[in-house]
Amino acid sequence: MVVSRVRVLGIETSCDETAAAVVDDGRQVRSSVVASQADLHARYGGVVPEIASRAHVELICDVIEQALVEAGSSLHELDAVAAVRGPGLAGALLVGVSAAKAISLASRLPYVAVHHHEAHLYAAMIEDPQLEPPLVTLIVSGGHTLLIAMDGHGRYRVLGETVDDAAGEAFDKVARFLGLGYPGGPAIDRLAREGDPEAIRFPRPMRAEGHDFSFSGLKTAVVQYVRKHPEADVADVAASFQAAVVDVLVDKLLAAARETGIDTVVAGGGVAANSVLRERLLDLAVAGEVRVVLPSVALCTDNAAMVAAVGAYRLAADGPTPLEAPVVPNLRLV
Amino acid sequence: MLLLGLDTSTRRVGIVLANERGMIGRVELGGTADTTPPRHAETLAPAIAWCCERCGVELTQVSAIAVGIGPGMFSGLRVGVTTAKVLAQSLRVPVIPIPSLDLLAYPLRYSRRLVVATIDARRHELYWAIYLQVPGGVQRVSEYELGTPDDLVAELEARGEDALVCGDGSLRFADAFVPLGSRVELAGPAHASPSLSALAELALARYEREEFCAPSEVLPMYLRQSDAELAWNRKGR
Ligand SMILES: [Zn+2]
Repeated sequence: MVVSRVRVLGIETSCDETAAAVVDDGRQVRSSVVASQADLHARYGGVVPEIASRAHVELICDVIEQALVEAGSSLHELDAVAAVRGPGLAGALLVGVSAAKAISLASRLPYVAVHHHEAHLYAAMIEDPQLEPPLVTLIVSGGHTLLIAMDGHGRYRVLGETVDDAAGEAFDKVARFLGLGYPGGPAIDRLAREGDPEAIRFPRPMRAEGHDFSFSGLKTAVVQYVRKHPEADVADVAASFQAAVVDVLVDKLLAAARETGIDTVVAGGGVAANSVLRERLLDLAVAGEVRVVLPSVALCTDNAAMVAAVGAYRLAADGPTPLEAPVVPNLRLV
Repeated sequence: MLLLGLDTSTRRVGIVLANERGMIGRVELGGTADTTPPRHAETLAPAIAWCCERCGVELTQVSAIAVGIGPGMFSGLRVGVTTAKVLAQSLRVPVIPIPSLDLLAYPLRYSRRLVVATIDARRHELYWAIYLQVPGGVQRVSEYELGTPDDLVAELEARGEDALVCGDGSLRFADAFVPLGSRVELAGPAHASPSLSALAELALARYEREEFCAPSEVLPMYLRQSDAELAWNRKGR
């Protein structure tokens, strides 16, 4: 499916990134601005919804303005404005959606409400402009762990999801326990480079059982191990924990590709920025097992380019969203 | 000159269109007696479109956007303030932010008593400010406060003056004022929500004096920190 001659402004405020982007034809990024609030939340060891919501209100005008300036585009040159209506933090979603509706009103542009997970799927279309479904996508972040089959544009099957903690949540909790700070993913990734991933044999939860994930037990195993072996090298613990998570993620993604007979796999979400996961996925591609599309780190973590991209497709398929449409914090993909 | 005003600091969604001669139209949806969950995000944008259409004006004709910045319901403020800021930025016009408590007090400016504006803050608390009549309006004689109904009653007892109390906070906690007897009168449902005509009138005067803000500078008045910050500050002490 090709959408052409469509310029969309995307807005993303579902968690702790305030982002805006301008994308042409659902694939060509003219600008992508992300204001991270990570520093605001670091002392609390995780995202604080009220603090995130307030920061979005502070940042939203500047982020939108910068996205338009960097795109060299005025509002009059846009064809639509898209925003994430869920899933996400209620107070945070309200800001992006209200901003998009305001632009729609002021500029008489169609408003398009989009799904945050669907946006992550479309990050791959930006990375590889020739890419078309079917795809199997692994979306892993602090908020989500999902295995989705995309059979066509707008046609999805959720194959698996986490039964407890999200993968990124496990990174955050283990990092906090090890005193590595927040956000935990990059901290563990960095330290793990100095450690031995085979030093400690942590469990690979539900590795060969269906498509669902579970990371809570792994986190507990790390805590118990360190309590029992206080002398353990923290870098070894980090590397071994990371290896366990990556093993599970890669195996599940491969198994889903085999079972569905879909030969292109995609990864997205903040955890897809993990260097070991990226290496392992690229190894799979080199081995010729599957075709791997791995969006750049900036497209994996939350951004608005993916929102603008999916907005172009949703507009073509479903038309504009009415301004009466609510935010839906626990929105499901299917 | 055409002014658009918004206030979403309470359950009520308020929109007003006015020019230098007065009000052109207004929309009010939701209120103190409405028991359904407030739906600011669903209501505000379509109601602005409808209000403009029925009044025969275009948003592109608007010269400034006034907004009640609270204190009040956080989700309502996020919707109202974000909408005002981004509308203003898109239309390239300034924003005139006005505390919502001021909008409650202004219509009672003909009273010689203390005027006490209140907004329900939930968690058994209210936001309030105290005003006195001055020529042409009211003057605030307290900080913008957050506290329990008992805190406010104690404050009024200490001041020892007759008072007229308005706003949805006073309706919600009407019983708390009983001990003050006849010294305190509650203004009732007609003065439950921040006044849209006050918003238009005060904003037009400020527009004349060029007292306005760039859209990115406008923020809600929260008065209450997030629970995480409160806990952090307690720990820090
Ligand atoms: Zn995400």
